[in-house]
Amino acid sequence: MKAVISDFLINSKPLIRKLIDMLSDSYLYVSVLGSDTRGKSYRVSKTVTEVKDIAFAERGFVVRIHNGVNYSEYSFNQISEESLGELVDEIKVKLGKVSKDISVNSYQVIEEETIKKSAFGELEVNPEEISALEIIKGLTEIRDSGLAYSDLVANFEVDYNAYHISKIYISNKKELEQSYHLGDAYLFCITRNETNTKKYFRSFSGKMGYELVNELKGVAAEVAEQGIALLEAKPAEPGEYDVICAPEITGLIAHEAFGHGVEMDMFVKNRAMGAEYIGQQVASEISVMHDGAAAAEQMASYLFDDEGTLATDTTVIRKGILENGISDLLSALKLGTTPTGNGRRQSFERKAYARMTNTFFEGGKDSLEEMIASIKKGYLLDGCYSGMEDPKNWGIQCIALLGKEIVDGKLTGNLISPVVMTGFVPELLKSISMVSEAVYLSGAGYCGKGHKEYVKVSDGGPYIKAKVRLG
Amino acid sequence: MLKRIEQIIKDHKEISGYSICESRIEANELFFIKKNVDMDRAKKVVHYKVTVFLDHEEGDNKYKGSATTNIEPTMSDREITRVIGEAAFAAGFVKNQYYPLTKPALAYQSLPESKFAKESLPYWMNEITKAVYKNDIYEKGGINSCEIFLNKKYTHIINSEGVDADELQYEGMVEFITTWKEEGEEIELYRCVNFSDFDADVLSDEVKTMLEIAKEKAIAGKTPDLKKIPVILTREAAIEFLRYFYTKSKAEAVYNKISTWRLGENLQGEEVKGDLITMTLDPFLNNSTASCSFDEDGFPLAAVKIIEQGVLKKYIANTRYAHYLEVEPTGTIRNLLINSGSKSYHELKGEAHLEAAAFSDFSVDVYSGDFCGEIRLAWYFDGEKTIPVTGGSVSGNINELQNELYLSKELRKDNDFEGPMAVKLLNVTIAGVE
Repeated sequence: MKAVISDFLINSKPLIRKLIDMLSDSYLYVSVLGSDTRGKSYRVSKTVTEVKDIAFAERGFVVRIHNGVNYSEYSFNQISEESLGELVDEIKVKLGKVSKDISVNSYQVIEEETIKKSAFGELEVNPEEISALEIIKGLTEIRDSGLAYSDLVANFEVDYNAYHISKIYISNKKELEQSYHLGDAYLFCITRNETNTKKYFRSFSGKMGYELVNELKGVAAEVAEQGIALLEAKPAEPGEYDVICAPEITGLIAHEAFGHGVEMDMFVKNRAMGAEYIGQQVASEISVMHDGAAAAEQMASYLFDDEGTLATDTTVIRKGILENGISDLLSALKLGTTPTGNGRRQSFERKAYARMTNTFFEGGKDSLEEMIASIKKGYLLDGCYSGMEDPKNWGIQCIALLGKEIVDGKLTGNLISPVVMTGFVPELLKSISMVSEAVYLSGAGYCGKGHKEYVKVSDGGPYIKAKVRLG
Repeated sequence: MLKRIEQIIKDHKEISGYSICESRIEANELFFIKKNVDMDRAKKVVHYKVTVFLDHEEGDNKYKGSATTNIEPTMSDREITRVIGEAAFAAGFVKNQYYPLTKPALAYQSLPESKFAKESLPYWMNEITKAVYKNDIYEKGGINSCEIFLNKKYTHIINSEGVDADELQYEGMVEFITTWKEEGEEIELYRCVNFSDFDADVLSDEVKTMLEIAKEKAIAGKTPDLKKIPVILTREAAIEFLRYFYTKSKAEAVYNKISTWRLGENLQGEEVKGDLITMTLDPFLNNSTASCSFDEDGFPLAAVKIIEQGVLKKYIANTRYAHYLEVEPTGTIRNLLINSGSKSYHELKGEAHLEAAAFSDFSVDVYSGDFCGEIRLAWYFDGEKTIPVTGGSVSGNINELQNELYLSKELRKDNDFEGPMAVKLLNVTIAGVE
């Protein structure tokens, strides 16, 4: 079945067009993004059950105008025929009135092509049509199988978030609309013995409906088993190692190492070393990396971004050469490049920035078994915990949930945790020497810009073998 | 609108209780590249968050179900009725241990009025801009980019027990990147400052400090392989480290098996060689965006001592989790005060050590106590000379080293935190890059 777009947004279109007409008397460019995102968040643990709206639930609009020099925006969530004049007056009073003591950057007026498009995502089971009773019951059964695994499981939690996103974008030349469903889920266990407490989790995600929950079934015992094994894990001995990165860690590297590094608003600010390396070797020759809302069907796949630019598939790295960055509309305007459909907002209340979408390395020709067999002493890193970018100086920090020890080409069963991986991005990427075939993407978490502006993204790739520094 | 929502809830007879939180936000935002405004934004929004409760029993067990939903100001009565009906239906299948809702308070202590209340938001945006850029005066470095946010936020909470609390708050935020270039590549550092009142010196001084740190990073060498010399944490990393004691003291963390801490327990062990932690929560801390007269339930807040000389005296507990653990509620207070320690900052630096001033992201795992971070700038003192270093990481476990940690006598305030400016740790692993 196909997702159904918000009635509210469809019914608001005449009012939004009227607002654009009224503002167009004063401004050369006017556009409005409308967003109506609904969805439920379910959390079932040993101690607590919770049902609430998803954190990203919202309904509102953001209007962008060219104020004669550059761009200004106004976010609002109340609109009616009667109050339209008042809204226009407020926008005129509040925008483009920067103090005369402060200098401003200038931007040319956006030239748009006439375009009218719609897209409605596919899903198998609409979570809005499944009762809370059924969802809570299903998650509770999964929780119970996790708790039953061992007395060492202190708590076991199952989280499921269902998102229904509807957006419209209207300007004098464009009329775009889209609606789609996303889902993400976590199995999360706390394990405890006399001396240690550890956490372990597995995440699931997709541009899909309630069918995502099927992927959780039968996995709880594996999560509990791994959580218990972590109780015996030792910290990593600092040093440089040959490692195999599982797809989640490959994705984390793609995301932190070069995803953030090629966000082109950073080029405008002279904050990205990547700007100087376009056309140069930054990774080993077997490395191909993409980003794009049209590059894969995952958590950040859409028809148009939050500035009304259609989605694309950007090849960021081809055969180790840095080819392209990813761009929002205003950065492209400033740099004289083509926007890539990466202008994204945390919500209608926030500014749009150049952001990643689905970021991943392409697959290669090696098998995981061959990769393990090739390592004398090293680790297989698995489970993404967190990462931090440094686009200016190409430092990287990635934290994995665990590392599985490899000695003489075989997994020993010993674990290290926590696993902090640091290094210099090109050194790490140039050390990629083997790449497995299948590519996996996931996106249960969020991506921030600095420490805010959280958006849903996905990342991933195949298993890769590289040389990294662990601490 | 609030009355409309309340009436629709009351029309659902199966609902046994409710709470509604209304928040109205007006905001101005400026986005700078260097010293030029690249974009200006404004917003005016209103949000309603409704939680409905259903009490139910099974045998001798009493449960409280709940579900929370957002009500948008553009929703029709039909839509509001539908989403509240869905929430009530879902709450019927949520079987949480019973707890009472927060009762109305006789009075709420008022927050002191912020200077921001005296003039318009655009006026203050200009004043904040002047303060931020006051010390951006150097040739080799400066502010690369900056984002300034100022929110005027009105919060109103009511519940079915008669709670009716409201408050006006201001939330300021300045996020900026400082850069510096010496002989090598230009480097950058990130900083975010949050505040609720206008203090030009706080903003100007922070920019100056970050420029000084950036200058040091620009000449920093690679972190050597230092094994396990003492590590001194300062600034954000020191706060993150000490916030572990806050998170572990929460009744919610204990109830949900994240924390095993017990009242009366010597948290740092029986034989402590270093300083003992004393932690107080103060909901009225000056110039903090977390200061508030009441919590998310409308519970009236007052200062409370949680840890005294390393001993857990009280859990941080809202109405629900206080009931579960059978302790007095403190309400949810987010301002954290840690007492100063026994040694001066100068004394802490008396022997060979690594003093870390900036990390990519200093991360503390509240479950295991593991902490780690990639070093963006640290100063290595080998006993004779001090050099700035960068790269590599520090890692350790709080549970394993808290019996010998040292806190500086000097205090530092950063929005919702006031505590020692430096924390000295032993037995931390330093992974160098040389």
